[in-house]
Amino acid sequence: MGTYIVKRFLLMLLTLIGISIIIFVLLRLMPGNIADIMFDSAGFVDPAEKAQIEKELGLDLPIPVQYFHWVRGLLVWDLGFSYVSEMPAVDELGPRIPITAKLAGLALFFSVLFGLPLGVISAVKQDTALDYIMRVVSLSGLSLPSFWLALLILMFFVSTFGTIPIYMDPPDNLWDELVLYSIPAAAVGFRSSALIMRLTRSSMLEVMRQDYIRTARSKGASENSINYRHALKNAVLPVTTIIGIEAAFLIGGLIITETVFNIPGVAHFLVEAILMRDYPIVQNLVMLIAVVTVVINFAVDLLYAVLDPRIKYAE
Amino acid sequence: MKRKVFTIASAASLIGLMFCAEGALAAKSGGVLKAYHRGTPPSGSIHEEATNSTVSPYMGVFNNLIMYRQDVAKESIDTIIPDLAKSWSWNGDGTKLTFKLRQGVKWHDGKPFTSKDVKCTWDLVQGKGKAKLRKNPRKSWYKNLDSVTTNGDFEATFNLKRKQPAFPALLAGGYSPVYPCHVSPKKMRTHPIGTGPFKFVSLKQNEHVKFTKNQNYWKKDRPYLDGVEWTIIKSRATRVLAFIAGKFDMTFNVDVTVPLMKEVNSQAPDAICEMVTTNVSTNLIVNQFKPPFDNAQVRKAMVLAIDRKAFIDIISEGKNIQGGAMMPPPNGVWGMPPEFLKNVAGFNPDIAGNRAQARKIMEGLGYGPNNRLKVKVSTRNIAIYRDPAVILIDHMKEIYMDATLDTVETSNWHAKVARKDYMVGLNLTGIGVDDPDAGLYENYSCGSQRNYTGYCKPEMEKLFEQQSMMTDQVARKKLVWEIDKKLQEDAARPIIYHGLGATCFQPYVHGFVTHVNSVYNNWRLEDVWLDK
Amino acid sequence: MVDIDHQAELVKAGAHITGRWSKVRHYARRYPLGAIGAVIMIIFVFSAVFADVLAPNDPLQTLASASLHAPGADFMLGADMMGRDMLSRIIHGARISLTVGVASILLGGSIGVFIGLMSGYLLGWFDLLMQRLIDIMQALPLLVLALVMAASLGPSLENTIIAISIPLVPNVARVVRSSTLSLREMPFVEAARAAGMSELRVALRHVLPNILAPLIVLFTAQLGAAILVEASLSFLGLGVPEPHPSWGRMLSESAAEYMRVAPWLVVFPGLAISLAVFGTNLFGDALRDILDPRQRN
Repeated sequence: MGTYIVKRFLLMLLTLIGISIIIFVLLRLMPGNIADIMFDSAGFVDPAEKAQIEKELGLDLPIPVQYFHWVRGLLVWDLGFSYVSEMPAVDELGPRIPITAKLAGLALFFSVLFGLPLGVISAVKQDTALDYIMRVVSLSGLSLPSFWLALLILMFFVSTFGTIPIYMDPPDNLWDELVLYSIPAAAVGFRSSALIMRLTRSSMLEVMRQDYIRTARSKGASENSINYRHALKNAVLPVTTIIGIEAAFLIGGLIITETVFNIPGVAHFLVEAILMRDYPIVQNLVMLIAVVTVVINFAVDLLYAVLDPRIKYAE
Repeated sequence: MKRKVFTIASAASLIGLMFCAEGALAAKSGGVLKAYHRGTPPSGSIHEEATNSTVSPYMGVFNNLIMYRQDVAKESIDTIIPDLAKSWSWNGDGTKLTFKLRQGVKWHDGKPFTSKDVKCTWDLVQGKGKAKLRKNPRKSWYKNLDSVTTNGDFEATFNLKRKQPAFPALLAGGYSPVYPCHVSPKKMRTHPIGTGPFKFVSLKQNEHVKFTKNQNYWKKDRPYLDGVEWTIIKSRATRVLAFIAGKFDMTFNVDVTVPLMKEVNSQAPDAICEMVTTNVSTNLIVNQFKPPFDNAQVRKAMVLAIDRKAFIDIISEGKNIQGGAMMPPPNGVWGMPPEFLKNVAGFNPDIAGNRAQARKIMEGLGYGPNNRLKVKVSTRNIAIYRDPAVILIDHMKEIYMDATLDTVETSNWHAKVARKDYMVGLNLTGIGVDDPDAGLYENYSCGSQRNYTGYCKPEMEKLFEQQSMMTDQVARKKLVWEIDKKLQEDAARPIIYHGLGATCFQPYVHGFVTHVNSVYNNWRLEDVWLDK
Repeated sequence: MVDIDHQAELVKAGAHITGRWSKVRHYARRYPLGAIGAVIMIIFVFSAVFADVLAPNDPLQTLASASLHAPGADFMLGADMMGRDMLSRIIHGARISLTVGVASILLGGSIGVFIGLMSGYLLGWFDLLMQRLIDIMQALPLLVLALVMAASLGPSLENTIIAISIPLVPNVARVVRSSTLSLREMPFVEAARAAGMSELRVALRHVLPNILAPLIVLFTAQLGAAILVEASLSFLGLGVPEPHPSWGRMLSESAAEYMRVAPWLVVFPGLAISLAVFGTNLFGDALRDILDPRQRN
């Protein structure tokens, strides 16, 4: 087990280094850079002035040198400056991270709250009308484009309540914040809850077909005790995995949701930074997302090992 | 159609005047004005930018030497009033413009304002000083400025190379604030220091930009507001809904389009929306250096294929107006009037006839229904650019041209245009001050950075200079019409229409007047007050 | 103990059915949701292929008098701001969505199959390298990756396809690799190798046909995902550019702006996306049950 952890950890580092190179190079492949964007607001391009800006920002250096500067900075927690605001990237990213984290947490909470029980019910009532309805609903959760759902929600709120549930000012307290985030979190959590429901259902069914459940049933254990004591307990394992992975992947859904609801989190910021070619923001943010994803995957693997002693890590 | 626009505009100015009268009587102090902004301002340094996104929020940080009256909707040389300058005067031959400056004015950081700051500002703009701007979009405005000299702490003189009676028009716009000598250009971008009614507080990308009242403002009892807060919302759908839902006192500068205004009017009937001409034209930049449009015949055919009325009907439900390089009357001071415009090639309302003529030209060049010319229309990936480009492509179909749309990201547009890497581009041009000395020089004069097409004709240069030196404004106007006619017929940058947009505010917002011939010069906000 | 009625299980699985049409009928009865999905997908593919014939109007034709026209006799689903017929645009939009979906499957699928086959077969350093590459691709959420790719490559139909196909690669490669790993030990593969067939030929001849089932399942899921991601990218302004009638693009910007004066601009393209994805998902679920009985339900 010990060697497995060390090995997994080293591989994780390798993955992160790979991501850092890929993202760095991809960014520099993008047509146009911040100097072009700056001149856009001036309505012309002056080659001499543009070259001066590029020099000032170190964009004239060879890409490997730029990469080296970035990594050297990362090691001493110097993330550089946002090209757009000329503020330290740490100060730009810092206050936005908790916003996205809270939103993602809330969305995940919703999706487990609905996904897990509905999945169990659907499995227990397999092939009944209820099961079909819930399967259709969950599939629609995977089919509705999240921005469409968000737009419909906004439309609904304005015409019904005459107000619009978007972010305007920083909320005063945690409760206000949760209320503010609950609608976008529900919009983005719909998809994850559908995913969790489907997975819960199928792993429940899988477990229910296993021999030991059949044995328990033949021994006369009550249906409820079979369903909830035996089956659910074992079905929860793969579901945990998907919850872990979904937590990291929520960031994708949040990109759209934060944009529509105007929430100043990192996901919305990422889109803006890409469009503005604000390299220091994009590369640090993508690295952050990658670290979170990789660490969660790592943690899920370990959790698996703890929860399921059958898994061996001999490899 | 034109009458309707006029009615809207004059109604707007009337409302403005009413507010003004009312304001003088009952203005209340206090309250923070909440408005929305369409996107993060590129920087706080007005001299480095050529966009509303900077001027509208930051104009209140600064003062000019002179400025356009904020309470008169139609700007002209006659509506210019003192600002940091108490008075101004010309020397005998009209080449020296001397300003007497206000005393006791302090910068937001407490340092005193003097004539040195005036000199520094225009040295900076001319690229003469030690400090350098990162980018300098209005160099072409000051081609004729030789130097700025000072006489003591409170007098500054602008020395011109030749006579230019309209020079004050340039200084009065929102794009001509006075900068402090002692603050670096970098600091001006991130935390600008001015003498104006509002101090910069903070900018958070994609979130907000905030300003607070300057307690030591030199103008007594101003500003009325305690501050101005702009919330940044990129999606127009979301921000207009937010305004309808009452979350804002005011929209962004002319952000509301004609179809959206209908929605605002029906959903928020109390809100006041002023639909005005913006002095932003939608035009075509035609690459005359590369096939197929290096051929004057093909250019002519394309211009003839355009049905301007169809554009205007689709984009603005018939409200946008036709005109040339200078914005047409009644709101524009210098544009060609309708009876003059009729006789300009390409503006003939007989579209079927124009297109028949265009087809004949194309047939003469060997094109036809079975041999169609493949064309690329480039434009920016922004709806106000893309929508008319789609209509243009549809119109080109009528004359054997099959066009594809090439949408270009913001990051590439100007570089692509500068490389002349396009056939036809659909472009928007905003003019800072409604004066030929700004618009003509910026967009059509040889070597100007914003003359995208590279149009350069010595005989036109002469005419530009000739009108610039004229004192008789009526004669100057006639000459400007002739110049404009030539520009249109040369297809230098065919104008499709002049746009309209509305700024909406809640009924308790007073003292704000939307200007009808520029969107860049009426955002000082020192006279605005809230009746809540 | 529970008795297992082997005959009944076989009937349930459709073992007694021979004719092609009766097979279809059997599956449709067995998987009613899948049948609905199949019908939706057929409509979707049909409109994509025959868009030119089906669409009542030219999807690019602008018409001033029809700007924001409400649904009615002339324009069944209304017209957009430029007076373009929404029905025609939605029908042609199916073509864009299908093109993006299928092309991204072909591209991402073939790269994924290649990587998976090679690493499952060659193992060693190649496998190690590829596994890291796959880790890297999986460590970034699909939309983030597609976003950065789309921004790097610039908005165009081809680049959207590339951007959407990349995230498919690791999924396909994983499935193919693990199937290859388990198959390579099978007797018939061993036999083929013993008979002197080259590694590559063995892989192509024997391994590939055996992993078709999971791949088809994966590809169906990708079709739905591709439509959604394309729509999301277009919504953010990075997808298929105008004037292509892409569903996501139709929903973005101007449609959203006019959603209260002209709700049909928002409702119909959104419905089209949802239905198409819903159909592929329903169909994909049934397909998985049929092709991969291990994962049934």
